[in-house]
This record gives sequence, structure tokens and C-alpha cells, in this order.
Amino acid sequence: MTLVPLGPNQIAFLLHGAVWTVVLSLIACLGGGALGMVVALCRVAPLRAVRAAAAVYIQAVQGTPPLVAMFLLYFGLPGLGLNVPSLLAASLALIVNVSAFLGEIWRGCIESVPRPQWEAAECLALSRTQRMLRVILPQAVRIAIPPTVGFSVQVIKNTSLASVVGFVELARAGQIVNNSVFQPFLIYLLIAAIYFAMCFPLSWLNRVLERRTGGWRRRPAALTAAIPVVSA
Amino acid sequence: MTRTGLLGATVALALLACAGTPARADKLADIMKSGTIRISTDVAIPPAGMMNAQMQPTGSDVETAELLAHDWGLKLQFVPTTGPTRIPNVLSGKADIIISTLSVTPDRAKVIDFSRAYTVLQSVVGGGPAIKVTSLAGLRGMTVAVTRGTTQDTELTGLAAANGFTVQRYDDDATLVTAGATGQSPLIATSVALIDAVKQKNPASDFAPKFVLDNFDIAIGLKKGEPRLLAKLNEWVLANLRNGKLNDIYKKFYKTDLPAAMRPPLVQ
Repeated sequence: MTLVPLGPNQIAFLLHGAVWTVVLSLIACLGGGALGMVVALCRVAPLRAVRAAAAVYIQAVQGTPPLVAMFLLYFGLPGLGLNVPSLLAASLALIVNVSAFLGEIWRGCIESVPRPQWEAAECLALSRTQRMLRVILPQAVRIAIPPTVGFSVQVIKNTSLASVVGFVELARAGQIVNNSVFQPFLIYLLIAAIYFAMCFPLSWLNRVLERRTGGWRRRPAALTAAIPVVSA
Repeated sequence: MTRTGLLGATVALALLACAGTPARADKLADIMKSGTIRISTDVAIPPAGMMNAQMQPTGSDVETAELLAHDWGLKLQFVPTTGPTRIPNVLSGKADIIISTLSVTPDRAKVIDFSRAYTVLQSVVGGGPAIKVTSLAGLRGMTVAVTRGTTQDTELTGLAAANGFTVQRYDDDATLVTAGATGQSPLIATSVALIDAVKQKNPASDFAPKFVLDNFDIAIGLKKGEPRLLAKLNEWVLANLRNGKLNDIYKKFYKTDLPAAMRPPLVQ
């Protein structure tokens, strides 16, 4: 059989797949982020029933692979008379998955705002909403930046699961190209480079955001030195 | 998740489809009315489905699908699929038929209907000159590489224990070919066309077919309970085996004629 050479058409096909990876990642992160915020707030809600419901949601979603969710949404719902396009099935599955993980990450960030901050806000007679919006969340956001960015990078790579519903994103595009040019080393290196080009700006954004939000105030060197070392 | 899990899900879906679907209008009438036939074809299983230099679909299955759409006066729409999702695509109504190197197996026949075979897939075990095997029995103690989920995988996995060899699975054909060309896998089971691809990738490997494993009947797959569509597909397959067009497609991609048993006498 004739092997096809790797040319501009093949690169264009890969880049077209990369565009869909970006689109799917954006949908998953923005949609999952919005839903995840709701989940996180439910996890710290004053009502026990709401907290429990959010905890069950997180456990259920974290314990099931998004691949299965995509498969069932795409191939299962038509049996019930609903025709789901592949982009919608992949988006829904990823949004639900991302919301559970981000919800739990952000719950941790909210709760790691030091206790005295919560107490002080209460002493100032702020309402619960005011305490959250004015005191707790601004501090939690700063704590949340590194794990959120780290998780988003994972989401970009997880979009490759969407090939199961016939969605041609970067990884599947690479597989298709590779099965006509038969140059796996070159193709997979190219794919890795494109994924890196998508993920690296996020890591860079992480640094910028941390600086913008003030970052952690450094403890003055003199003070650090002054802390007595307790040793046995 | 593993492919086995996917297979489980496929079976569950098949049950769902059988249990919950009310009687619908005839599929053939639907296709003719819409003017478009949606065909599930994997474009990453060369030489049946692949991309040409312009990144347009080509291959023996692609040309078969084009011929069918042309003969029936329909617009052709390929439904993107991977190997394991070919059957779910027709069960869920995402595609009308499957033309994607779908070999006829009893397990699959429980879930979908098959047309008359339109081509064959000759599977061979191939390797370099250092390995001397001429039959399954000679494989004792050796490892044979296959592409996961293919008919070769299913067949060799069933024979492995009794014949004392090991099956090693790769994710797609390109990876299998690379394994052969780089010497990772000295023996691979696949189609003749791909054994040839190994030799092209690395002429020093001198890969050649060792023995024929089997000739698998390849047929068009469709959802069960569509007798009119099935009859029309059978009629089409027979006509195009008779006029030689299916043989021409086979010869173009596999460099040999279809087995004589598959070719009814030519009708002028």
C-alpha cells in the first residue's frame, strides 16, 4: 500500500483538531467552573441537607469515568428519543466532571481561609452573603488559583476522551493522520508540542494571576530568622 | 475504561434498543426520503478507511460506500467512528449502515443484521526471515502482536491458550506497523496490506506473510428488523459482485482479486 507523505494538508488537519480541543476545553472549564462554584457553595452551606447532597454529587461524579458518561449520553439518549450531537454529549459529560472536581477544590480553598477571618466578619455584623462576598471569597480565590489552573491543564488533556463519540479533536486527528502517514514518532511529538502550546500559557497565566492578586505576603526575613528553632 | 467495558455498554444499549423502541417507519423509506445515506466508516483502518494526501477519506470501504450512494442516487454522509463504536452508531440511529471492515461473527449477529458479504479480509501472520513458522501450531512459546478489538485479536485470543502462544495488543494499525518495523514485535497478525507497510517502513525487517490465518467475510451492518433495507443491500452487493465493481475496488487496494468463491460469474 502507498504511504502518504506528511505535508501541509496533514498539519492543517491536526490544527483543525487542535481548534476543537480548545473549544471543548473552554466549554468544559467555563461551564464546569460555573456549576463548580454552585457545588462549592453548597458544600459550605449552613443547611446540612444541602451539604450532604453536594457531597453525594461529588462522590458520584468523581467515582465514574467521563468516558462512560459521554458514551451513555451519546449512544444511550437516542434510545429515549433524544438525539444528542457529539459536541453536546462531550461538553455535558466534561462540564459535570469538571464541576465536581472544581467544587471540591474550591470547597477546600474556602475552608482554608483562616478561622479568625470568619469570626472577625461575624463580629462586624456582616450578613452571611456579605461575609462570603466581601471577606471569605476574595481570600479563597487567591488560594484557589494554583490548583484551579493545574486542574484546567488536566481538563485540556481529558478532552481527548471525546473521540469515543466520534468527535475529532487533537488526539483523534493525530491517530487518523498517523494511520495514513505511518510516522508515529513525528506525529506524536507534534501532538505533544501542540498540547504543550495550549497548556503552557495557562501556567504562565497562573503566575500573572498570583502576582495580580497580591500573592502570599512574604514573611520578612528578619522575622523568620527571629523565630526560635524548637529542637529536641 | 477498557474496551471490554465499552463492549459491555454496547450490549446494554442493544438491550435498551430492543426493549424500548416502538415500531418505527421503514428505514429504507426514511433514507430515500431524506436523500442522504449516513454510513459509519472508520477512517483510521488502512487500507479500508484512511486519508489521502489531501486529507480526504479514501480506501476500499470508502469507495464501496461512495459506489453504493452513487448507485442509489443518494448523498453520502460519513459518520465519524472508531472501531469499537461502529455498532453503537447504527443501534442508536446515528448512522444508517456500517461499511467499515465489519467481519461477520456470531456475537455481532445477535445485535445487528449483516448483508451478504461484499468483500473479504485476509488475515495473515507475518514476520521477518529469522522466524520460521508455517502454521498456528508452530507459534508455541511465541508472542503475536495484533490491533486491539480486531477480528484477528478475537480469533487469536481464543486460540492462544490451546496453542501456547501469547497475544500482544496495540491500539491501532499504525502502532502495530511501527511495532513490526522497529523490531518490538517480530510477529504480527494483520492484513497482507499492512505486512507490506511494515516492509516499506523498514526494508531491513524483510517482513513477509508466514501463513494465512483466515479469510473473514466482510459485510454491511444494519439495525435488526429492517427487511426491506436488508433485501436492497443484498441485491446491490450481488449485482456489484457480478459486474466486477467490488472486485475492482478490492484489487485497487489489496493488489489481488477477491477469492473465486466470492465472485459470481460475470454478467454482461
